[in-house]
Amino acid sequence: MSRGEELVRWLEKELGGNFISAEATIPGRLFIDLKREALSAAAAGLMNRGARYQVGVGYDARKSGQGFGLVHTFAFDKDSLLVALRTFAPGDDPEFDSLTPLIPGAGWSEREYQDLLGLKFRDHPNPRRLVLSDDWPEGIYPLRREVPHDLMPPAAEEVAFRLDEAPPGTSIVPFGPFHASLHEPAHFSVYVDGEDIKGCEYRGFMTHRGIEKLAQTELTYNDVPFVAERICGICGSVHSVNYAQAVEAAAGLRIPRRAEFIRMVALELERLHSHLLWLGVAGHLIGFDTVFMQAWRIREKIMWLAERLTGNRKTYGMVIIGGVRRDINQDRSEDIRAVLKEVEREMLALEKAILKDRTIHRRTRGVGYLSREEAVKWNLIGPVARARGVDIDARRDHPYAAYDEVQFEVPLADSGDVWGTLVVRVKEVYEAIKIINQCLDKLEKLPKNQPLAVDLEGPIPSGRQGLSLVEAPRGEAVHYVLTGEDNRPERWRVRAPTYPNLQAVPSMLLNNKLADFPIIVGSIDPCISCTDRVLVVERSSGKAKLLSRQELENLSRGKRSKK
Amino acid sequence: MKVTAVIINLLYFLALAPFLEGVMRKLTARIQSRQGPPLYQPYLDLLKLLGKENLNAAGHPVFRLAPLLAFASILSAIALLPLAGQSSFLAHSSDLMTLIYFLTLSGFSILIGALASGNPFAGVGASREMMTIIMLEPVLAMTLILGVVRAGSLNLLTATAGVSSARGLSYFLMMAVYLVALQAFVSRQPFDIPEAEVEILEGPYIEYSGPNYALFRYTLNLKRMFYSWLFVVGFLGFWLPGSPVLNLVVQTVLILVLFVLISVVGATHPRFRMDQALRFYAALVLLSLVAVGLGVRGW
Repeated sequence: MSRGEELVRWLEKELGGNFISAEATIPGRLFIDLKREALSAAAAGLMNRGARYQVGVGYDARKSGQGFGLVHTFAFDKDSLLVALRTFAPGDDPEFDSLTPLIPGAGWSEREYQDLLGLKFRDHPNPRRLVLSDDWPEGIYPLRREVPHDLMPPAAEEVAFRLDEAPPGTSIVPFGPFHASLHEPAHFSVYVDGEDIKGCEYRGFMTHRGIEKLAQTELTYNDVPFVAERICGICGSVHSVNYAQAVEAAAGLRIPRRAEFIRMVALELERLHSHLLWLGVAGHLIGFDTVFMQAWRIREKIMWLAERLTGNRKTYGMVIIGGVRRDINQDRSEDIRAVLKEVEREMLALEKAILKDRTIHRRTRGVGYLSREEAVKWNLIGPVARARGVDIDARRDHPYAAYDEVQFEVPLADSGDVWGTLVVRVKEVYEAIKIINQCLDKLEKLPKNQPLAVDLEGPIPSGRQGLSLVEAPRGEAVHYVLTGEDNRPERWRVRAPTYPNLQAVPSMLLNNKLADFPIIVGSIDPCISCTDRVLVVERSSGKAKLLSRQELENLSRGKRSKK
Repeated sequence: MKVTAVIINLLYFLALAPFLEGVMRKLTARIQSRQGPPLYQPYLDLLKLLGKENLNAAGHPVFRLAPLLAFASILSAIALLPLAGQSSFLAHSSDLMTLIYFLTLSGFSILIGALASGNPFAGVGASREMMTIIMLEPVLAMTLILGVVRAGSLNLLTATAGVSSARGLSYFLMMAVYLVALQAFVSRQPFDIPEAEVEILEGPYIEYSGPNYALFRYTLNLKRMFYSWLFVVGFLGFWLPGSPVLNLVVQTVLILVLFVLISVVGATHPRFRMDQALRFYAALVLLSLVAVGLGVRGW
């Protein structure tokens, strides 16, 4: 009996009348509908069976009379299985059990829907207003259907987020909202005693662009990949491929094999240039600008290659629902091989220089340490988790595209620090090169001049769920699509890899030196704009006083009434 | 005539210091596979900064005073130097201690400027700068004291010449210590900790702009040149020819060579953390004390 069948059988038995239905749309996906009373029990059961929490998705289903929908997704990495638990609450009583006490990683997701949809979560340990900007008026929930996508409430002056006071004996060093070591807006208020970090408060999500709302109201299925690609300034294809896979899974489309390999080439090229970019940034953050310049010089070759292949250095514009837009022919294939050979040679030289440098060891070993248990507790993913000995990689555990046809290693480290993430990323560069070369071998053997995309036979039926994973350079990215009417998704949810990883940064920072702040934050390779589709606030050190939702409201109202 | 020598002293340093920064930037760029700015870029930078509005970001008179004090004290230190093997006009009213005072005053001015700015990053930078001064000033003092021990005089000309008058164990040990410390004196990687751009955003200088900042930049350039000059005259003094003009030419070439070395080391090392650097400095201080001890024993 497979894990999926076993789970369904157990849920039916355990939940009795609260269990509604289960559907295995494609291999490796299980969509379960429950009554909302059973949500915590079902989630606890999944976690006890070794599930890894991924993301929560809330949506407005009042049009179809179902009230508000809430989906929590879980991964069973050993069994290549993704499970989505869906529950509904009536429109006039949108309250669910909070999963956060059980799964700390669910905190952000739940708080997102508290603000965007007006959902309520019973027993949430930290129900602060967090998703919307500080001057957003109360009672307007932007993801609800009746709120137009371009609503712009008048900005309120002098409403600023109140950061917590520093704990006694410490003072605050503000890293952000703009700081040379953070390449995107984010605010870490770091509590220091001398140069020792005693805690920090994170305030981010300042680049919210409302992309999900846009896709659900203005765009069509085939517009979204091009917008999705613009979620991230580095790993665009991750999001366009991921979205397309989710829609294809929902629609039951099988895309041409050739297109799958071409998507893989695009994804792995992105991993290459992303890791080289990270290596350069890491060098810069510890004051080693020569590594920065050399890594980016090597990276530039890949950028130029991408331009020759797709017309763009990044934002390749290759992906549509059902396939890809451009082929990789023999000439281009040889071009790629030549560039990869060159990159591999230069990378080996750079690696040798880095691994031998004693000062780099001193600056990264033991810095930003987090144990394996903590990494699992926070659902860390990608190189950040693999540097802590957590053996997960969506490419191997939940193979998509044609990853089941290529051979590659998943590099691991057990040092649990910044050094580990460096080693893992350097090794992944070689694995990416290996994968691309295998893809090119396969592409050369596959029949040529075949269509690169399949056509839809009719409109995609509404109400179907699709869940897709892509292993981005920073870790697993999750896309959830619920198909809708008018040729556009009813709900599209993006969870970028930085979303869970960022939540663990305060733990990594604790008791390190201030001088190590940039490299520790840098070690998760934070992609703020990916994470900032929405606006979230996170409190961290645990010692500082919290500003309650009510206090914050009073604060903003008090200020406003003065005007 | 003797007053002219002092003026030549100042002009030599003022004219050459930005050029040396240009050399450093160009070399660093070449090591990083970059084109790099032209060698005269630092002059343009200084001119540009000097032409800007002079803002007092902190609104505190000390904030405005600090760059002037830093610049004035480094110039005073330079005026005392026996350039080209000639004793300074000011030598009769100053000695080695005066030099050390002026150098410390210049470092101290950066501190008070940083603290007056009230910026938390400047505060962190100032505390790092202070620790660096406390740890490194003894290395400089010990180098000069080694010369004093040898020459038996606090006069700058004889003391600097004294360092290399006998080239025994103490001489080589002190030279090695000074060479390592030089990287910290000129605040380049791995010891550019007080400024550390990505950590504390240039630390003490974060609030400074325009002419105020230009003065700090110029001070830093002059300081770098001074410490290189001291190495050349102190440790390689026995090499320098007797004729003043030739002496100056050889000095300049040697300073340039030293800057090449500084640039290469700077470009091939990441930055230390303060606690790591402090352990390093402590070892340097101890070794310099040992060198003086050896010098006293005549080794």
